[in-house]
Amino acid sequence: MKMIGCYLTGILPRTKELIEVTRAYDRGRVDEKELEKAFENATLKVIDTQLSTGFSYVTDGMLKWQDLFRPFTENLSGVKTGSLARWFNNNTFYRKPIIVGDIRRKKSIVEEVSYTKYPPKDFPWKAILPAPYTFVQLSENQFYTDKTELMFKYARILGEEIEGLARLGFKYVQLSDPALVYKPIATSMASDKLSLIGEALKVAVKGIPIKTCLQTFFGDFSKILPEALDFPVDHLGIDLYETNLEKLKEYSFEKGVALGLVNSRSSLVENKDELVTVAKEIMESIDSSKACEVFICPNCDLEFLPWERAEEKMKVISGAAKRLKKEFL
Amino acid sequence: MNKLFPTQEIGSLAKPRWRVKGHRGKHLSKEEIAEAVDWGRKLGIEDLDELIKLLSETDSPDRKRVMLEWSAKYAIRLFESAGLDVVFAGEQWRSEMYEHVIRKTTGFKFLGRVKSFDYRYFNKAACIDKPKYVGPFYLDEFLFTKKNTEKELKVPFTGPYTLVDWTFNDFYEKRLSGEFRNFKKRKLEAKREFLFDLIKEVIRPEISKLVDAGAKWIQIDEPAATTNSTDEEMELFVESFNGTVKGFNCTFSIHNCYSNYKVLAKHACKLRNCSQLALEFANRDSRQAGIGDPRTGYKEIKLFEDYGFRGNYGLGVIDVHTNSVEPPELVRDRILHVVKMIGDPSRIYVSTDCGLRTRTWEISFKKLKNMVLGAELARRTLK
Repeated sequence: MKMIGCYLTGILPRTKELIEVTRAYDRGRVDEKELEKAFENATLKVIDTQLSTGFSYVTDGMLKWQDLFRPFTENLSGVKTGSLARWFNNNTFYRKPIIVGDIRRKKSIVEEVSYTKYPPKDFPWKAILPAPYTFVQLSENQFYTDKTELMFKYARILGEEIEGLARLGFKYVQLSDPALVYKPIATSMASDKLSLIGEALKVAVKGIPIKTCLQTFFGDFSKILPEALDFPVDHLGIDLYETNLEKLKEYSFEKGVALGLVNSRSSLVENKDELVTVAKEIMESIDSSKACEVFICPNCDLEFLPWERAEEKMKVISGAAKRLKKEFL
Repeated sequence: MNKLFPTQEIGSLAKPRWRVKGHRGKHLSKEEIAEAVDWGRKLGIEDLDELIKLLSETDSPDRKRVMLEWSAKYAIRLFESAGLDVVFAGEQWRSEMYEHVIRKTTGFKFLGRVKSFDYRYFNKAACIDKPKYVGPFYLDEFLFTKKNTEKELKVPFTGPYTLVDWTFNDFYEKRLSGEFRNFKKRKLEAKREFLFDLIKEVIRPEISKLVDAGAKWIQIDEPAATTNSTDEEMELFVESFNGTVKGFNCTFSIHNCYSNYKVLAKHACKLRNCSQLALEFANRDSRQAGIGDPRTGYKEIKLFEDYGFRGNYGLGVIDVHTNSVEPPELVRDRILHVVKMIGDPSRIYVSTDCGLRTRTWEISFKKLKNMVLGAELARRTLK
């Protein structure tokens, strides 16, 4: 039977209450304790929403992550936190990791920033980490001979990190790789370059006993086909709001896919029926074996929306997944 | 302007505490009132007793309006006292460049705060209906400024491309839903419809009012111009600017900062009736004195020249994100370096990188004074 599920693909928006506390903290009006309490309350809320909406995997919402890199930027030795830079084509900014020395992992990075005490133990957890290529492309390398050396070094660290997460009980890890498809960065991705990126991914996920996904967004996934089909991950994530769907349908997938059917950068709540139709068309075209695992998900982090709108979209995601499940039974 | 190297600030000044609290009708401390008095004396503001009386009350009639006028007058005087050639009201009249316009136009609804970075957020609106012009949003500010200065005036104006880029597009995306199965195409088409409706229904009517009231120079602020750096988006940006300014008897310029200038340079020569590009360079530059090698931040001027841009440059020589005050000699060197690159000194307006909103008035004043001194040093060198 075909496996159809749904999950999140990135950082969730902070709830209104949490935003107020973080702003107050920023202005010195509340202390660390009150801030931590607000993060805990909001985390419980977003976990509860995922569980009650019927998601297949649960994340803690990554509410503490200031950006996709920050836990790594602040906790890897050899990395300094740089100035603000634009996060792709969004009105949102991240702090550039500046590579000033040999990068080393001193401790578990994601574990420290995650609320692993809150998701139910008997429910599968998902972790989301920056993929090697994106980390390297958006960092400033002042130490290694070239970006390739840095990419493989980071991939080894990522591998240790994922192993640690698997031991903690995580069942799924997503590597977020927007730079791989974002056109102004990945203008013409040559086959040998994609092959090198695949090698770095292999270093990161080799021997990992849990499911892995390479999630792309902000760009056209069809541009890295067919090479991406050979990436050493279980699932490939596609931003359907940036991808040429006709081109995508020309390929046959043997891996599972995470279909970014809901647009995290638009506040318009999607029509479930339309999403189901589009998903069916794609699944029927690319899944020749009819056995691939399929996940319905947002096209990128839902943090571009206010929480209330993100919550509505999470319901649409779950509803579309349920409908598809029925249709493919 | 006949003068060589005219000087200008680019965007908003910080709002003093007495302006923020006073506008909200909150009680002000003695220190806050003293701050208003000190700056008032420093800038030669007339009738300070009236302001002190106003700040000591909390519920006087017309308070909000009067506070805007006082703070605008302070900003104008600050620019004048620093010796700038071009002035405006430091955007003291506005809550913020985005919200100010959206709140005064129908068709929008604020959905709440979304993350900008770290613990900073911005209040983002959705377009829920076709935008409609309700009434002027910059005109009062312009008329007040005109009455209160003899200097050359410009009107900073938040550009339509940025307003659209920073707004959720519910209305047009919904209208097109079902029309294309291709989500990407639908998104771009919806953006195009939103953008050109906004220009026609809101932006041009306001420009028209400003021009009728005597505005001679409007600076279109487009910080989002290169956010989406694909050719099709950049063409949309160019088309939107050209459509915005077409047919008006007025000078227009564009301000864009912290952007990808490689992308902007490629499209700049297609901008019509754009007399000046005010760009941020000091932030990218070294602080070492000299012309040539130390001026790493200005290399992209060459791209604009190579692609055929022949308008003026609002040359960012003051970094607005640091408290360190640039010495006049550094300002001079930055100017002279670019003169050497483009060959024509008359194409340079000496400017801050962006608005000095994140600096205190004290730092802003020092920076602006040194910018004026640096421009004078550059003039003397060329003589």
